[in-house]
Amino acid sequence: MSDQPISIIIVEDEPEFRRRFVQIIENEPSMTLVGVAANKREAQAIIDRESFDVMLIDLGLPDGSGIDLIRQVSQKKPDVDIMVVTVFGDEQHVVSSIEAGATGYILKDSAPADVISCIRLLRAGGSPVSPVVARSVLRAIRNRMGTTAPTRAPGSEQNPLSARETEILQLLAKGMSFNEIGEILGISPHTVTAHIKKIYRKLAVHSRGEAVYEATQMGLLKS
Amino acid sequence: MTVPVVRLARLLGVAFACLLAVLLPLPGQADEAQAIPRIELTGGTRGTFPAADALWQSHALPMRWAASGGRTGIWLRYGFDLPAAPQEGWSILFGRLANGGTVYVNGKMVADIPLDADRRHVNWRRPHLVNLPNDYLHAGQNQVLVFTSYGLGVHGIGSIEVGPTAELQPDYGSQFFVNHTLRWIALLLTCLMAIGFAALWFRRRSESLFGLLSLIAASWALRSLDFAFESLPADMRLWTRGAFYLGTAAFTALATITMWRHGGVKRGAAEAGVVVLAVLGPLLFAISGDTFDLTAGTAWQAVMLGLLGLGLLSLAVHALKSPTFMLKGIVLAIGIALAAAVHDFLVYVGVLTFGSPELLNIATPVLLFALGGALIERFVRSLADVEKTNAELESRIHEREQLLKRNFDRLRESERVKASAQERQRIMQDMHDGLGSQLLSSLMLVERGALTNEQVAQILRESIDDMRLAIDALAAEDSDLLSALGNLRYRMEPRLKVAGMELQWDARGLPEEVDIDPDAVLPVLRIVQEALTNAIKHSRARAVRVTLGVDSRDDSEWLTIRVTDNGRGLAAGANGNGRGLLNMRNRARKIGAVLKVETVPGAGTMILLRLPLATSPGPNTRAMQLSLNTEAVIEQVRQG
Repeated sequence: MSDQPISIIIVEDEPEFRRRFVQIIENEPSMTLVGVAANKREAQAIIDRESFDVMLIDLGLPDGSGIDLIRQVSQKKPDVDIMVVTVFGDEQHVVSSIEAGATGYILKDSAPADVISCIRLLRAGGSPVSPVVARSVLRAIRNRMGTTAPTRAPGSEQNPLSARETEILQLLAKGMSFNEIGEILGISPHTVTAHIKKIYRKLAVHSRGEAVYEATQMGLLKS
Repeated sequence: MTVPVVRLARLLGVAFACLLAVLLPLPGQADEAQAIPRIELTGGTRGTFPAADALWQSHALPMRWAASGGRTGIWLRYGFDLPAAPQEGWSILFGRLANGGTVYVNGKMVADIPLDADRRHVNWRRPHLVNLPNDYLHAGQNQVLVFTSYGLGVHGIGSIEVGPTAELQPDYGSQFFVNHTLRWIALLLTCLMAIGFAALWFRRRSESLFGLLSLIAASWALRSLDFAFESLPADMRLWTRGAFYLGTAAFTALATITMWRHGGVKRGAAEAGVVVLAVLGPLLFAISGDTFDLTAGTAWQAVMLGLLGLGLLSLAVHALKSPTFMLKGIVLAIGIALAAAVHDFLVYVGVLTFGSPELLNIATPVLLFALGGALIERFVRSLADVEKTNAELESRIHEREQLLKRNFDRLRESERVKASAQERQRIMQDMHDGLGSQLLSSLMLVERGALTNEQVAQILRESIDDMRLAIDALAAEDSDLLSALGNLRYRMEPRLKVAGMELQWDARGLPEEVDIDPDAVLPVLRIVQEALTNAIKHSRARAVRVTLGVDSRDDSEWLTIRVTDNGRGLAAGANGNGRGLLNMRNRARKIGAVLKVETVPGAGTMILLRLPLATSPGPNTRAMQLSLNTEAVIEQVRQG
């Protein structure tokens, strides 16, 4: 980590939570808040204007879904880490965020220390994941390979994950901790989270490729 | 399909016409060969020429007579004129010398054709060509003498021709073929047909027609034996004649009834009549012996022919209505055969000239070929049918497959709908009895001002926890208990850490897939969460261990979850402890699980949950009542 503080923007429509997140970041000396938005429009302005390292974003915004913003930022600013703020950390919200380009998620009611450590983990190149989300990611990849393979572009139907990455996901889905997985595989817990981040990125790239392919098929894009 | 039959019929017709044209004698054709129109005859004995004053009787040729007396010898005499002694070889062609004979030319013996005698019965049907040595012949009148002998029965002498051998040879050849070779060919073909149909019937017992045809062919073969052997010991004669009557009777009865039935006529009485009439022949022969030939035998044969004619008539009527040409072809062939049989019968009884070619010898192969053709046609059609059926079957199977697939899809869809309906019901029930009533009770208490901020926060926190558990349980598709438990661990670990407790999680005893009732997932999660929460709140332990495993007992598999802490034990716990345990027990009971609590004051607590795996339909847990662990808090407040 550099000496430079981590610059953060927050996109959250509920005032109470917005206030809470602002407070957590402002209380943390190694982080600096560069923008706060309560809806999509404001967020768009900040994204266009500011440069930042991390975006904390709630998916349900009053003027649209945060998913679009996630996709936009992950494509325009690939260095930015996108962290989704969710109530339950449930499969539907998290997996679609990851597919759009998010690399982390955090529960809305997480303790301040957890929020800070999660942001640090992201900047250090790792990603947190719960067993249910790991299982969902596995399932998402399997579904894509299995059901749509024959109709998709050649080459894209291969499993984008390496054997090691699949193994880590499977162990995570069984409920093992990063430490335990690290012990089993002979790697550090940090490397495990780095693998998870790579998996997220692959899932996002993969689904982006799929979106482009489908758009081409529909004649929306000229290839 | 009908074209080959028509072609076959046409071909058969042409062939038959050609055969008739070639084989029927064409009189007056030869230049020098002369047919003998009349002969003279007188009684006598073998080896002694008739006396000079013997009385000769003149008779036209061919001639036929029936004899009912004992054995008699006769001399035949005729002459022919030669302008000069011939240079080339000359011969006499006896079209049919039924009883054989010793032949002399100008007093010198030229041939000795085996005679019908007491010990040996002959009935020559083949022609005989007798070569005449040139030096026996002279210019002018030449005289031929023939001695023959006859016993009981019908006898005759066919045409006699004299002429150059080269000229008579072709006639002789064709007559020999028709009256001898062809007879044997017909007999052999009939036997083959009998065997062939028998084999067919043996393989396909249900088709009685094949069996009948085999019997008919066999009867015909039996009947033909009498004509097949022209010369045989006299005592065998009775047997072949008996075979003739038996064969004729069986053939007529079987063929007539078969044709009737095939023609759609079913007259039990008429059929019985046919059988009686048919049996009469062999029966009377058995009683009266050889004389039957001369008495009622002829009439009986006529009746038999008449019956066959009736049978053919009904078959013909049926054939006219039939759309295929096959039956018509067969009727035509049978008609030809019957006409030939009538012709031969008329020759036998003397209405037609004695010694005419036996047309049945020609007609029998024609009939057999027609039957064979029909059989081939049927075989070919069966093959075509099989191919067609196969194709139809294939397409039907394909259709059925499609149908099955559609049904399967529909079934899967309806199952999916049903599953999601059940899921919805489960969530509703859970919301109603759990979180809903919980929040309502809390609201009452808050409105009464009975709760402190801290207690409200606790209630809310636990409500959220419970909701997260519900969501984990929902996410745990296909009873994926492992990820859901993992999620619980993922969430609880930081909390335990904050409380200064180490969480040891051991899932090594758990297989990849744990099959439990979907309805049991959430209660299990709640029980484990409550156990952990209790440990945090009351145990003051330094470490909590969760051990997951599967073991077998009482012939079934059980999921076991152990939550062990090294705290102070339950007895020293707070008030809510009892209520929490009761909740856990209720939940366990409702999903058919067993909860066991062991506690040692000052040393720790172990909570063991044992749940049967879903190898068989478990207890009905659909309508279970789920309550939140915060009930304990509320209870506490009420009491307080």
